[in-house]
Amino acid sequence: MSRNPVVVTGIGVVTPVGTGRDEFWDNLLAGRSGFAPVSSFDTSAHTVHLGAEVRGFQGADQVRNLDASRLGRASQLAIAAAHQALADAGLDSSAGLADPGRAGVSMGTTSGEPLEVERFDDFFLASDLAGMGTEFIVRYPCHVIAANVAAELGFEGSATMIPAACAAGNYAIAHAVDLLSAGRADLMLAGGADAFSRITYTGFARLGAIAPVTCQPFDRNRKGMIPGEGAGMVVLEPLARALARGARIYAEVAGYGLSCDAHHMTAAHPEGAGAARAMERALEVSGLNADEVSYISAHGTGTPTNDRLETIAVKRVFGDAARRVPISSVKSMLGHTMGAASAIEAAVCALAVHCDRIPGTMNLEEPDPECDLDYVPNAARELPVRVAMNNAYAFGGNNASLILRKCEM
Amino acid sequence: MQEDEIRNRIKEIIANVAGLDPTKIGDHATLRDDLNLDSLSLLEIGVDVDFAFKLNLPDERYKEVQSLDSMVELVQGRLAEPRSEAV
Amino acid sequence: MANPRRVVITGAGLLSPLGDSPEALHAALLAGRSALGPITLFPTTGLRCTQAGEIPAFDAQALLGDRNFRPLDRISRLVAAAAGKALAASGWRPEMLRQTEVGLVLGTMFCGVHTIAEFDRRNLTRGPSYASPLDFANTVINAAAGQTAIWHDLRGVNSTIAGGAASGVQALAYAVDLLRSGRLDAVLAGGADELCFETFYGFYRAGRLCGSAADGEASGAEVPVPFDARRNGFALAEGAALLMLEEAESAARRGATVLGEIHGHGGAFDPSRGEDGGRAARAVARAIGAALADAGIAADRVGAVSAAADGGVLLDRHEAAGLESVFSGCRALPVTAVKSMLGEPLGASGPLQVIDLLETMRDGALPGIRGLEELDPVFPRAVLATSPEARSVDFSSAPFAVVDAVGFDGQCAALVLGPAGPAMVGHGDGGGGGGGSR
Repeated sequence: MSRNPVVVTGIGVVTPVGTGRDEFWDNLLAGRSGFAPVSSFDTSAHTVHLGAEVRGFQGADQVRNLDASRLGRASQLAIAAAHQALADAGLDSSAGLADPGRAGVSMGTTSGEPLEVERFDDFFLASDLAGMGTEFIVRYPCHVIAANVAAELGFEGSATMIPAACAAGNYAIAHAVDLLSAGRADLMLAGGADAFSRITYTGFARLGAIAPVTCQPFDRNRKGMIPGEGAGMVVLEPLARALARGARIYAEVAGYGLSCDAHHMTAAHPEGAGAARAMERALEVSGLNADEVSYISAHGTGTPTNDRLETIAVKRVFGDAARRVPISSVKSMLGHTMGAASAIEAAVCALAVHCDRIPGTMNLEEPDPECDLDYVPNAARELPVRVAMNNAYAFGGNNASLILRKCEM
Repeated sequence: MQEDEIRNRIKEIIANVAGLDPTKIGDHATLRDDLNLDSLSLLEIGVDVDFAFKLNLPDERYKEVQSLDSMVELVQGRLAEPRSEAV
Repeated sequence: MANPRRVVITGAGLLSPLGDSPEALHAALLAGRSALGPITLFPTTGLRCTQAGEIPAFDAQALLGDRNFRPLDRISRLVAAAAGKALAASGWRPEMLRQTEVGLVLGTMFCGVHTIAEFDRRNLTRGPSYASPLDFANTVINAAAGQTAIWHDLRGVNSTIAGGAASGVQALAYAVDLLRSGRLDAVLAGGADELCFETFYGFYRAGRLCGSAADGEASGAEVPVPFDARRNGFALAEGAALLMLEEAESAARRGATVLGEIHGHGGAFDPSRGEDGGRAARAVARAIGAALADAGIAADRVGAVSAAADGGVLLDRHEAAGLESVFSGCRALPVTAVKSMLGEPLGASGPLQVIDLLETMRDGALPGIRGLEELDPVFPRAVLATSPEARSVDFSSAPFAVVDAVGFDGQCAALVLGPAGPAMVGHGDGGGGGGGSR
């Protein structure tokens, strides 16, 4: 154990398969799908039409202290998840913070608030920029997501935004853990958020990366990912403080590993080298051997390339143990929630460690000979989960592995 | 449209994506090997060629194209077809 | 902690409206040159503001070498070019990068928002099947960092930090922590933002630019004058600046030139986002105080401050109040605000300020605050000394310097720079191991 262990004491999620820890976890274990025809914009000119949107989200209802009309969608999703996480940790804002200067927010995102750029463009193309109003610069820049959460909660320590694309949640949690371990903070809210947008959807569709019927990670006939949106936030604090206040502890953050492929913007290294390095670093820092990992939450987007390369990377790191460790992709249900993904998936790992259950990889109908590991097909599983690894890989070659384990106190 | 015109237009598109002078692209250049283009750049070229000539072809047709010659053939062939929909 | 790892600066690379080398930038700032001029990157017809700090047209091929840079958008080219200069300046050759993983941490407020908007507009006008795949790759906010890592084979930790105008200082702080933790021995860190219509127009409509109030209503002169009573906003600018940060012993082992050391960093957040002056000032003070504490030095060991002030009506006042409270025991501490000349280059600002301050620590010359005539009445004149012209600074009994950053939405961050060598707490002869070797 590190000198200053950091633990997860609260979870908040707003996702395509449920809002709030209980609904979300129950739906994941039941294998519920979050996929539906896209409703937030017209996909008739596209060749694909499925998305994983958060339906019926009333952002304004979730915001208590700020003026919701000045907040973009990702900020509202993040604030909703943040309030849930604090309440789950027994640290509701109404109780007041002991020292706001020692509390901070660390977040990740892929696109920030792309709907604001879309709005700008709509006015631009209509030759009506005068009608746009003055709020673009207040609502759009991605750092405002973290700042809005911190402002809503009254935190004064920090509000950091690490837009490391689809690995951003892990990066944000890693940064929060570092601040806590170094004694620069006593309480951190960490996670990620992204909003559904035509920009993101069109981009992935243009790359041919979106599946037309469903998302089937590791399946022989997998056709791609389903873009999604959401927010996931966890409350992190030093173990000593959590124990002192009698908090419920989900898991300890044992360590993390980061790497950069420096190979290609949208395609991973063909031998999984970067992904392997991130996993190895995480294990090393955590003082663990690969065969001690009980569960891997895969990046598992469902694209032909990712799932194959991820399998190669796991085999590189785990060797023989690769066949024994259960691996599942919740993107088979959630879709790819972008910057929120690895934060939501970190929450999944914390719950897995806490409950000794893991979600399955749904829609796995025909195994792929190239993806021949135990991907927990089609059903959740009960088993002791002492150590859970959360993997995430992003555009730009950013790789991040986060390890959570049972807190042995 | 004359073949020369088609070829030159395609060369311009490829040159733009490859960051090259169009005159530096040999008539029989292969896209991956001679011009060192990766899958993302090849996809971009397919998109730009389709837009330039209004071909309305699916991505799969462009994935088969390995060289400047075969791209010219693809465009010529498509322009010669009587058209109502994409194949 | 026994033998804490120290972080030194071994080189820098930059592209800015005032020059593309540390020497050129410093000379321009000392001479009081303004970066601001009529915008050429996009039309400003019908707008009351027409000036910005643009980087003069740069030859990407010359800076990036013979490879195909078409996949990189403009901001990625700027960052990759700055990285190339920083690597060359610090003596990191390609074969060394093949052996050793060097990281990259980039601070940016917007990264490729222009690319994002162009991608979206092309989708809307041509249809989704004609959207640009190459542009899509650059729509993620970590794209410039990713492209630069590919370009220069930077396989160490790669991160992007977005904190508005504080992005660059936050990125440097993040990189310092990476090095202190032992995860890496070398990291390129800094920041970049490019001038584009989308951000210029956004700031313009919000009334943040000098020369115009919200919605283009009349305001004061289109000149940014930090701390001046007549100030009415900032002038937007662009830039890309990266510093090579290395663990001190590893830098010494490879015989690197050491320009200086980052002794400490600190940060804070103002939940009122500048609306409560008292809270805002306290956040500035906490960030700087934390940096000093991290460096293990008292405020009176600071010989100069490079302020974030950019002409913003509220932010300049909050920063002044914050500086006053941290340095209340000082008298006539020299403060400069280089955004009076540079304009506000957002993510690049902190790193450019660091680069210039390293030059100041070397030659003792601190740039002035261009155009400063009438200090804001609340400015703490006894504690902090400003000058419209460059002047000399004596670092002999106060060898450290502070760069601070104040974001638009509550982020505050600060760094303590100094000569390389362990800092000594409190008074005493200068900081230990002597000045940097040049």
